[in-house]
Amino acid sequence: MVADNTLATPEKPKKKWRYGVNRWFVLLFIILGVFANRAFSPILPHIQLPAERYSHTPLLTLPVIGDFYWTNTLTAAVLVDLILLIIALVVRKALNSGKQVLEGFAGAVEAFLEMIYNLTESTAGHHAKKIFPYFATITLMVLVANWMELIPGVDSIGILEPSSHGYPVESFLGFAETLVKGEGAGHEGSTYTLIPYVRTLSTDLNFTVGLALISVFMTQVIGLQARGVNYLSKFFNVKGLFSKPIFGVIDFGVGLLEIVSEVSKILSFSFRLLGNIFAGTVLLFVIGSLVPVFAQSMFLMLEFFVGLIQAVVFGMLTMMFMAQATHGH
Amino acid sequence: MEALGLNLGYLLVQILNFAIVFVVLRAWVYKPIVNVLENRKKKIAQSLEDARKAEEARQNAEAEAAKIIDEARGKAKDIVREAAEQADLTAKDIIEKAKQRAKEIHQEALAEAGEEKNRILADMRGQVAALAIAAAQKLIGSALDEKRQKALVDEFFSGVKGGKIVVLEGEGFEGETVLVSSALPLTEAEKKVLEKDILKRSKGEPEVNFAVDPTLLGGLTIKVGDKVYDYSVSTQLAELGNMMN
Amino acid sequence: MDKEAARLIGAGIAMIGAIGGGLGIGVLVSGAVQGIARNPEASGDIQTNMILGIAFAEAVAIYCLVVALLILFVI
Repeated sequence: MVADNTLATPEKPKKKWRYGVNRWFVLLFIILGVFANRAFSPILPHIQLPAERYSHTPLLTLPVIGDFYWTNTLTAAVLVDLILLIIALVVRKALNSGKQVLEGFAGAVEAFLEMIYNLTESTAGHHAKKIFPYFATITLMVLVANWMELIPGVDSIGILEPSSHGYPVESFLGFAETLVKGEGAGHEGSTYTLIPYVRTLSTDLNFTVGLALISVFMTQVIGLQARGVNYLSKFFNVKGLFSKPIFGVIDFGVGLLEIVSEVSKILSFSFRLLGNIFAGTVLLFVIGSLVPVFAQSMFLMLEFFVGLIQAVVFGMLTMMFMAQATHGH
Repeated sequence: MEALGLNLGYLLVQILNFAIVFVVLRAWVYKPIVNVLENRKKKIAQSLEDARKAEEARQNAEAEAAKIIDEARGKAKDIVREAAEQADLTAKDIIEKAKQRAKEIHQEALAEAGEEKNRILADMRGQVAALAIAAAQKLIGSALDEKRQKALVDEFFSGVKGGKIVVLEGEGFEGETVLVSSALPLTEAEKKVLEKDILKRSKGEPEVNFAVDPTLLGGLTIKVGDKVYDYSVSTQLAELGNMMN
Repeated sequence: MDKEAARLIGAGIAMIGAIGGGLGIGVLVSGAVQGIARNPEASGDIQTNMILGIAFAEAVAIYCLVVALLILFVI
């Protein structure tokens, strides 16, 4: 028997059918979701484009700008800043540790930035060092802002405010209150809407327009730095105005159209980002209220990719416009 | 604008917010990382360059080695060829010398053999004379005077009597060389007599040589130029035979 | 027709423009995939440019969406 055992070739371990853990977790969460929906069924929240204000009294009043309210997107902006600062601190610490190769999270950030830097260098050449910070900052900031919509609690925890077109309120667990489905509309004072504490930053037009303004303005600055006064000839093409009788005038007109194109870039940048992410949040609201169980998970994955792609596209377009500005025609 | 939520204050806040993040990230993250990347790129380029140089050096060394080996091979071939040529020459030389030496030895041996033959024939002359006398004594029955016998025998062989060549009677020679052949080697005295007599008879001073031809049996043949005076015993015997026939 | 019904119809009509964006993205991706199939080594560059092109084409559809959202939630 001993000889048999030693001579016998070792059998390959058969891959057994295992009842994996993860699938049961998924099933458990789906069942829990069903019960949660029976207890408190989700409602389609009140959707508005401008950021919600926490209170009706202004935080401070400035002479030119006017009343200043603290909004939930400003809270999101502060959170984005904090996250980026933490990332910066982690990377800085890892860089100062003197290691040749960064590990862990810092290594991931470094790899991402290296990819971005190489892309910039292959497009912009020796101007890459000037362009790269804008590309990287816009990409990172938009990325963090976009992904914030995936966090549970964002857009769904906040202050209840009395409203004419809201939902009735029901208290649960003793200390919290939630909106529930019900016919309460019309009874002023008894229906409420939710003002979330944190709303996704990219759904605030101020943020996207601000980024677009910075992108376009810095493109002009970098173009001027790289090419000097020649850069302005792109807009005011007076070179052929007197030497070529007809085409010179046409060139001048085309140059003026470049100004329009620069302005339209602001619109394009800001509304592309806002539209994608705002539509994404609305999509999540609608799907969450129509098919409360499981379906929203798939759309969360979709929004994950949309957020990444929009961040990269915003940064990459900025980089390409800047590179074009340095090259000239 | 108000419906869109666009507000100059918020816009400024967002722009400043971006500026803060931009400045912090640039100072803490981008500059060090770009430095790291540049250094890494430089290092990679440096190592690639080094590798290229090393490769070049290796190839050079290989080419050099191949060249050296080729040269060495060529030299070795030359040396071998030269050595072979030298050996051939030496061998030819040795063979030539050996042939020469063999020829010399052969000629020496021939000369020695000739001399030996002459000596033996000279030794034999005495015996032949004794035999002839003994045979004559038996034939005649009476003994001849010993001295006279000897003179007869000598005359028979040399054709010389009393300081003159017996066989030549009042004849003159004309010619450059004279070859005297006899059946047995002549003595020095006889040779002198012959020479003297021939010189006396001939015009000018021809060179006189002596040769031995046992087939003559006796007597002499004298060859002067293209003329042969035959006084040999064998010719006389042949003539005698002809007459008898 | 009351104002609410007109608003909803207007939002729906506004989204017709999304057809253009969809067609554009379809043509774009088809070309990009053909390019990758013919030359798989250039897939990196093609993908980058494809995503940029999609962003441009999608922007048109997004404008429609923004208009629809404005009609629904702002006006």
